[in-house]
Amino acid sequence: MIKRITSSKGIVTAVWVLGLVVIWEICAFIVGATQRTPVNVLPHLYQIIGSFFDTKSITGSGDTIATLVFSSAAETLSRALIGFIIGMVLGYILALLMHLSHIVEKIAFPYLMIIQMIPILGMAPIVLSITGDISSARIIIAAILTFYPVSTNTLAGFKSVGRERHELMRSYGASKFQLYTKMLIPSAMSYFFTGLKISAPMAITASILVDTLQGGNGLGCMLSQSLKGSMTRFVFWDIVIFSAVIGVLSYYLMGVIERAITPSKRKAKKKAQ
Amino acid sequence: MSEKTNAPEISVKNVSMVFSDSKGNPVQALKNVSIDIQKGEFISLLGPSGCGKSTLLRIVSDLLTPTSGEVTVCGKTPRETRLEQKFGIVFQNPVLLDWRTVRKNIRLPLEMMKVPKEEQASRIEQVLELVGLKEFGNSYPGQLSGGMQQRVGIARALAIQPDILLMDEPFSALDEFTREKLNDDVLSIWRKTNKTVLFVTHNIAESVYMSDRICVLSPHPGRLSAIVDVDLPRPRNADMRGTPEFAALVEKVRNSFEGI
Amino acid sequence: MKGKVIKNIITTVGLPVLFGALIFTLWQTKVLHTLFKTDEIILPLPTRIGSIIGDNFTNMLPQIASTMIVALGGLILGSIFGYLIGVAGAVFKKWGMGGLTIVSAFNAIPLVALAPVINNWTRDLSSVVDIRSTVAKIITVTIFCTASMSVNAYRGLTEVKPFLEDLFASYGVGKFKMFFKLRLPNSLPYVFTALRVSVPACIIGAVVSEYFAEQVIGVGRQIRENIIKGQFPTAWAYITVACVMGILMYVILLIVEAIVLKNRRAR
Repeated sequence: MIKRITSSKGIVTAVWVLGLVVIWEICAFIVGATQRTPVNVLPHLYQIIGSFFDTKSITGSGDTIATLVFSSAAETLSRALIGFIIGMVLGYILALLMHLSHIVEKIAFPYLMIIQMIPILGMAPIVLSITGDISSARIIIAAILTFYPVSTNTLAGFKSVGRERHELMRSYGASKFQLYTKMLIPSAMSYFFTGLKISAPMAITASILVDTLQGGNGLGCMLSQSLKGSMTRFVFWDIVIFSAVIGVLSYYLMGVIERAITPSKRKAKKKAQ
Repeated sequence: MSEKTNAPEISVKNVSMVFSDSKGNPVQALKNVSIDIQKGEFISLLGPSGCGKSTLLRIVSDLLTPTSGEVTVCGKTPRETRLEQKFGIVFQNPVLLDWRTVRKNIRLPLEMMKVPKEEQASRIEQVLELVGLKEFGNSYPGQLSGGMQQRVGIARALAIQPDILLMDEPFSALDEFTREKLNDDVLSIWRKTNKTVLFVTHNIAESVYMSDRICVLSPHPGRLSAIVDVDLPRPRNADMRGTPEFAALVEKVRNSFEGI
Repeated sequence: MKGKVIKNIITTVGLPVLFGALIFTLWQTKVLHTLFKTDEIILPLPTRIGSIIGDNFTNMLPQIASTMIVALGGLILGSIFGYLIGVAGAVFKKWGMGGLTIVSAFNAIPLVALAPVINNWTRDLSSVVDIRSTVAKIITVTIFCTASMSVNAYRGLTEVKPFLEDLFASYGVGKFKMFFKLRLPNSLPYVFTALRVSVPACIIGAVVSEYFAEQVIGVGRQIRENIIKGQFPTAWAYITVACVMGILMYVILLIVEAIVLKNRRAR
């Protein structure tokens, strides 16, 4: 029964994807018929995908689009990952400190709220000029954007632990260390992953955006070079599709990691009578 | 009942508790409550919500500190007794850790008490047997029904081999059939293990069926309005629920509430 | 007991203010500059930034207005569009669920990358740069704000307490009436949940879309242009303005939410 529902849900999603593809293609057809340079507006999907596997080299050094996208993705995404990890660790530590000490919470919480309200991405150019180095700028922006969702969500996770759970640990005379390792940290795990799911695509977006601000080898740099016309426009479209796929994958990857480390999530669905 | 001449296991003297509500106004949750509980006794704290029965249980187990009055448990302060891990508490919700299997949930307090590994395993099997969940040791809480989850909660409380079992409305979230089944299970566990039990409930029939004595608490302010001795013979069984003696006791308890 | 409440307020407000003052002092006394190994040109003193904003505020107003129009326009359009998607999803439940899975996946797509190409979409719309560029920017922000609203609206419209649905059915109420009397009011708190995400997102969207826009105007564009020209203090002044805009809009949102949902939140 359950299997039938999930498979039908899969079919629904598949139909939607198909529908979007059809809409894209119809638009692309109209654009192709009315525009002089349709590739600048909306090329056909098969053209985009075909160009990705095109073996013709497009740069002086003999790169095809695919190798170019992969090499610049390695550059950008590795920085995004470093920033993501730094932001995750710092965010988690801050959440712990805020939960351990009321003073830290009172000082930090309003500022966490403010970070959420201000356009951090708008500060990318200035971070770039302070660091003077595109790699550090990518890491810093990705770290800041990861930092606050992880921090606020993890803190919410610690706070969601109910009174009776605290009382249970207290009745055992549990030490503070035991309270955190055995109760609070595992309880807050799903909240922590909620934070990670929000911030993983954001870290990637941020790194790509920083790329577009300066020349170099990243995904965003290629994207803006392609837009300026210094290489084929399909590089742009391939990067758009590629980064969309990577962004969505990064979200699902967090879910996969979460299920891998919390076995109860996998089993809880099969309920015994 | 002759050993009641010994010093009481739990002694509550003139305990009062004042909370402040969200606006900062004082609320009297308990006023001058005194009870002596003997070793091995099954005592119910009975009353409507707001009568302070759960507060009293938390004061005995040092989860709350009373505003005034004195509590001794086994001749010591509640705090000393708590740190010696003599209390086994069963809450209204089973409070199971959903990322641990049933076995590992029961192991939780044993890990903290640094019980040797082999003994942990043997104790876990023993309490699983006692609550009748032998086959479910490797299940996750999310896979169990409410009644089974609460059995795990009871098993976990028993695993630390406490002197005193404190139960805070443990069955109030369960349906009547499951509740009556668990009532019998708790009584048989109590008979086998001889613990002192402090049982908080708002169900009159349940308290009559289970207890040696019922402490009837009335609200606003929370106070002890009567102590009713239950002289039904033991072991008790479901047939007794229909007897005139049982009905008379229920009536007597019902009449001892004040000001509701 | 009352004293405790007052003490609580003092620490809640006082401690962060004290911390802010500390950072301000470190910045003003150039300790921060030593820490970050930077100079007063790239990281100007707060007083200098303040005086630039004070002196040039009238010049900044058109930039602020332009960004505001884009941000608000996109926020409103995106929210309406998102809510309608949510309604459609709630009406055709089986198909709606699948569609919303796709829409929520849009959240994970770096939509920034789309900003440049949207300029191409609006090229034939008007011969006036200002109009077509503004439209392009608003479209970008609209896309930014749609996903979170549609997902939350769908949840708000469908996550009705099961008994309430049965209650309405027992009155023999039609689907249409049930929608207006039950589902719509039920979705209101969810709308605010979505806005808490999309209000900051609309400012970010506006600022970023300005980077790529044809028209050289707006707070975000000024940040970038001034950095390219090496006028860091002016860039900082615009960053400050962008932050203040974000904070103001969020605070307004919180106030409106508090008023609208006054009686909803228990306790």
